[in-house]
Amino acid sequence: MPRSLLGTRIRENRRSKKISQAALAKQAGISASYLNLIEHNRRGIGGKTLLALARVLEVDPRSFTEGADQALVGRVKQAAAMAPTIACEVDKTEEFIARFHGFARLIGRQFDRAKVQDETLQAVTDQMNSDPFFSEAMHLLVSNITTIKSTVEILSDGQGIPAALRNRFLSNLLTETERLAQTATDILQHFEPSAEGDDISSDTTAAETILEKNDFFINQLEGNFISPVDYAARLNLSKADEDETVDALIKYSAITQKLPIDTFLSIAKPCNYDPIILSQKLNVSLSVVLRRLAHLPKREDIPRFGIMECDGSGAVIFRKQLPTLALPRYGSACPLWPIYRSLSQPLQPIKAFINTPTGERFLTYSLAQYADQNTVGLPSRTTAIMVFTPDYEMFLTKPEIALQPNLAVGLQCSVCPRANCEARRAKYLLQ
Amino acid sequence: MPKSVLIVEDEPFILEALSFLLKREGLTVSAFTDGKGCVEHIQSTEPDLVILDMMLPNRSGMQILEDLRAMDAFTSLPVLMLTAKGQKKDRAAAEQAGVSLFMTKPFANKEIIHNVHRLLSK
Repeated sequence: MPRSLLGTRIRENRRSKKISQAALAKQAGISASYLNLIEHNRRGIGGKTLLALARVLEVDPRSFTEGADQALVGRVKQAAAMAPTIACEVDKTEEFIARFHGFARLIGRQFDRAKVQDETLQAVTDQMNSDPFFSEAMHLLVSNITTIKSTVEILSDGQGIPAALRNRFLSNLLTETERLAQTATDILQHFEPSAEGDDISSDTTAAETILEKNDFFINQLEGNFISPVDYAARLNLSKADEDETVDALIKYSAITQKLPIDTFLSIAKPCNYDPIILSQKLNVSLSVVLRRLAHLPKREDIPRFGIMECDGSGAVIFRKQLPTLALPRYGSACPLWPIYRSLSQPLQPIKAFINTPTGERFLTYSLAQYADQNTVGLPSRTTAIMVFTPDYEMFLTKPEIALQPNLAVGLQCSVCPRANCEARRAKYLLQ
Repeated sequence: MPKSVLIVEDEPFILEALSFLLKREGLTVSAFTDGKGCVEHIQSTEPDLVILDMMLPNRSGMQILEDLRAMDAFTSLPVLMLTAKGQKKDRAAAEQAGVSLFMTKPFANKEIIHNVHRLLSK
């Protein structure tokens, strides 16, 4: 800030603290008339007086000094440059910051946020542009709408249309409406989870891919016929993928050791696959039972369970998707999911049904647990697990189903049609 | 003599609607549905105005526009480009290539008629 504006800054500071000029002058040991001249930038100010004024105003004297806000000056000027149609008094930026420091900081912060949002938007746009299906589908959609709009306008103004041509336009309208419906359906299907047997998601980790190929049940590991290290070594993976896969397989192997599959299955069905009851009966932690449920053989008499594990920030660290419920990899899931609710209540299992906007229903069990030991004065990190199954009717009766809490949840805000959701944080893209 | 308009559009129903609208305005309308051979067609028919869709099979509207502007005979031929892609970069690229007017789909019939007359009267 130019030294000539020091006085302005002192005046604004004094006013913001509702101190009279006379009172400040008296407490700083100078005359009111001298302070008046300083505040109007008509007198220079020495170090001793500056320190005294800063002391009375309870601010860091450096905040008055030249150049203290150069970064802010730059940001405010850049914000002005972003809106060239508004004739901002850029040459008075320093004076503005001196007089209205709070507002200037607000502009600086808004500028920072706008920059981040612009970059995010650009990234999303690039992502959509690089999706050939989406690009083609949107082109078709706009073409369909163009035909319908133009044809309806022709038919509605009714000028100079022979009967045969009118019928022709009506026929075009019908065909184009059907095409529009088909295009919209194709777009929706593009966003829906893939069919069983397809690659579920392109953002699946190497370990998840290996497990998916084996339906999350590897006989050789179940029977302890091979070590996770040897198993992963046979897969010809890159070093990083092999390391990650070994870690995941070691965790899986540990579950098979604690809960051998035959033992588990023999008791799981009579216990209605209820992990809380199973945990008590088998005398193992609930988290082990939850993970075991994600690694069951694929058989018609065994319900399918998916799993999602997240850290305290909500980031997904492990997942097993099911064809009817795709799970996000990067934090854009629905905050209403019980797994996120469990993070605020560690060690308290949550059993609830979730209903998705597309009509699917899942029974879920969620549990958050502490990931490290308590440090005095510092809460522990938490992680959470949620298992879910669409096959609850295989082991629950209708009255039992009716007793459970139901949560209406979404998948991702931007494609979730629940218009009045209080947890909404992103606009619905498809409206 | 009525002015002639060539519509280069691969969507048959849009083509049909546009043709009707412009014929109703007393213009002579012809159509071309492929990017390939389009420049040659323009050379042989010499329309007063070209309505050019940006996304065409075989050769894009942008490439056709660039080809036309590279020919002395067509440096000032009015070209109205239609596109479903209304992104700034597409508009900027079309302006750079010498488009006379850039319109995004879906358009209002009155608007396109107004613009066609405006370009033809220049």
